[in-house]
Amino acid sequence: MPTALPTMRRNWLVTLRAYPWTYFIGTVATGVLTVGLAYLAFHAIGGGQVSAGFLADGGTGDYLGYVTVGAAALMFATRMVLWVAKAQITEQREGTLESQLLAPARRLPYLVGVGLQAFTTTVAEVAVMLAFAIAIGVRLPAPDPLALLCAIAAVGVAVFGLSVPLSAIMITVGEAHITQNTLFVGMALLCGFTFPPAMLPDPLRWLGEALPLTSGLRALRDAALHHAPVGAVLPDLLICAGLGAVYLAAGLRLLGPAERIAVQRGGAA
Amino acid sequence: MSAGIVTHGLTKVFPPPSRLFRKRPPAPAPAVDGLSLAIPPGAVTGLLGLNGAGKTTTIKMLATLLRPTTGTATVDGLDVVRDAREVRRRINLIAGGERMVYARMTGRENLWYFGQLYDVPRAVLKRRIDELLDLVGLREAAGTLVERYSRGMRQRLSIARGLINAPAYLLLDEPTLGLDAPIARDLRGVVADLAESGVGVLLTSHYLAEVEQLCRHVHVIDRGSLVAAGSPAQLTAGTRLPYSVELTLTAPAPDATKAVEELAARAGAEVRHDTDPEGRPRVTLRHPDDLAGELTTTVVRAGGAIARVEVAPPTLEDAILAMAAR
Amino acid sequence: MSAAWRVVVAEAFKQHRRIFGTKLVVFSMLVWPVLTLATAYYTILPVTAAPGAAARWPLVADPQRLAAFLAAGALAYTFFFSLVQSAWHFSFERVSGTLEAIFLTPASRLALVIANGSGALVQNAWLFGAFAVAAATATGTLHVAHPGMYLVALAALLVPAIAWGAFLNSLLMFSRDSAFLYTLLDDPLWFVAGVRLPLFALPLWVKAIGLAFPLTTSLAILRGALLDARDASDLGGELALLAALSVVLLALTAVTLRIGERHAQKTGSLQLF
Repeated sequence: MPTALPTMRRNWLVTLRAYPWTYFIGTVATGVLTVGLAYLAFHAIGGGQVSAGFLADGGTGDYLGYVTVGAAALMFATRMVLWVAKAQITEQREGTLESQLLAPARRLPYLVGVGLQAFTTTVAEVAVMLAFAIAIGVRLPAPDPLALLCAIAAVGVAVFGLSVPLSAIMITVGEAHITQNTLFVGMALLCGFTFPPAMLPDPLRWLGEALPLTSGLRALRDAALHHAPVGAVLPDLLICAGLGAVYLAAGLRLLGPAERIAVQRGGAA
Repeated sequence: MSAGIVTHGLTKVFPPPSRLFRKRPPAPAPAVDGLSLAIPPGAVTGLLGLNGAGKTTTIKMLATLLRPTTGTATVDGLDVVRDAREVRRRINLIAGGERMVYARMTGRENLWYFGQLYDVPRAVLKRRIDELLDLVGLREAAGTLVERYSRGMRQRLSIARGLINAPAYLLLDEPTLGLDAPIARDLRGVVADLAESGVGVLLTSHYLAEVEQLCRHVHVIDRGSLVAAGSPAQLTAGTRLPYSVELTLTAPAPDATKAVEELAARAGAEVRHDTDPEGRPRVTLRHPDDLAGELTTTVVRAGGAIARVEVAPPTLEDAILAMAAR
Repeated sequence: MSAAWRVVVAEAFKQHRRIFGTKLVVFSMLVWPVLTLATAYYTILPVTAAPGAAARWPLVADPQRLAAFLAAGALAYTFFFSLVQSAWHFSFERVSGTLEAIFLTPASRLALVIANGSGALVQNAWLFGAFAVAAATATGTLHVAHPGMYLVALAALLVPAIAWGAFLNSLLMFSRDSAFLYTLLDDPLWFVAGVRLPLFALPLWVKAIGLAFPLTTSLAILRGALLDARDASDLGGELALLAALSVVLLALTAVTLRIGERHAQKTGSLQLF
């Protein structure tokens, strides 16, 4: 880890010095308001009940717990992607990408370093949102701790894996805003963050399964809401981590050509 | 109503940045301090000073972008604060650099946009845009998006923007900064022509040769206050800076050298002996008066054979540097 | 007056050049709103299809009407948010130096910010507007009292949106942390304005905050006129409130512009906050 740890430390220092409060408030607000919306709808419209369809597809009557876990996961995914996928394009904009490329360090440890720092920051931010959910009365049942940790790790791998090809796309097209937001709104619809994907039309459902977060969320909810032991969530964990690894491998292959294109374009982005 | 731009005791003190819950730091020194200037129509007036002398602040006050703290500035009798809107119709500002134009519009569209904002009559606007595009050499590139322009092209467009309202007074803040030499020369021609046609121009520039060439009258400011004013020639003469006369002999001539020493001692001139790159003896005299005539006469009478004589009069740059050093 | 009109024309053209045909407008004004609308629909479906929900909110008995309700919310939100986006962009003119070039001209500042907002609105929102009209027509979810109500709905959407845009422009023109306002007016805006929930589901204090934003009332009129066949007299109270809000916003805009420019002339920095 000779590259990962210094990178993590550097990013920590930068974060502490100029913490991006705007992003933080934006992400926490999205999570808090998603839970808030579900809370109000559940009480004022559903009268504290959910449809039979949700009971069948979601496998639970705990609508608020379901949405809260999803909103936390969405926040986690969004923040991690913002950190990791945008690391290189930010270096490009600040003119430090070329000096990065000149150093003999390999890409993966660098991105792992960025990811580790992002992970620690993001966990703290998600905690703020969960505190809000608990404050308004959402109750998460005592989860299976080992299964939950495994699920978080698998989702971490999945998000990290997704971020790498995204980073390659960003530095290739020299643009982050459209790319990242399209991924976010697509993910929110397809992966089942706030509703069971089974409610979606079939083609969209299959599209969702191609993203590692869909299986990751299943494992996360089983562990968090249903006390499922590791053995029970193992298939979903493997799919999630496996898909994440595939995205990661594809992304690492794409990074080289992407960097060459980015350098050719010169820091014009 | 007095024609021209006239300022009386113009002063600008920037308030210190206010921070919540923190004691205000003491008021800083004024950026412009009691400046009284006159910029007549039909001439180029120079405004010189070192960096931070208050040139840009002065220009921005005249352009209505900044409000004077005390003192007044009027444009053809119109107050820059009270009659700001009327003043804006009569003036324009061109600053160096390629800012102040829109990258997503073509050169022609940029000029049209600003023409609309200045409410230039439609029929006049169309003709004027063509004339300005010709003037700054962007006729061919008129339909190209500015984001594809080079820096020089953007700056030329920025100059055309500054002329779109046919201003009666033009404020030029380092207009040739970073321009290619031939374009800078063309711009100087344009400025001279504008002044000829009756426009009052105020020019600040780092290139003092430019000021010397264009300006009839120059104001020199330092730390916000006026320190000297006059024509470039008057300013140079006023500082009593030395002329430098350099005389090269074809061969060593001890008599001539001795005579030169006597001349220097008599006139109180600084004298230096050396050899030129071809090894010929060379003598340089520095004195506030031009001693070229006396020097050549002295050398010839003492039997010296002259290869060449060169006289360098003091420049405005020397004068400004001398004033700054005081 | 003709001078102000020329400012409007020039500014609208500038917005056209800036926005038209860019990828961002297709994504932020069509792709993202449509996907977000679908997500909102599926998220709320488990409770609207719960037993007894139709008794509390009759509209949900028909999923198509629920979709139309949410789509109207998305439409109005997209209109208003496009102005947040364009005001955010306007704040960059300070950095690029063009704001100073504008302040050099005698052009009316009020005309300028109104034109900037309305120009951006037209360039941005026509795409999603056309989509919404097509979807509403195809699904037959429109219930309109009489044809004139289309005009009322359109005016209730456009006039306050333009006033809102002008106000944001004047605010962001002089704001240092424009990214913060941008974030603040994204998610919280849809929440307090009842974009994804009927107003009765919101707690009183949220409704009270929501009333300060023209989007809330604008949306209530849009839904009432196009989905619930209410006519102008039914919507009289909302229309009066909306008119008052628009006037207040324009007055605030004029004040902000005066204070902002004066502050900039005093301090030399085009930053107010």
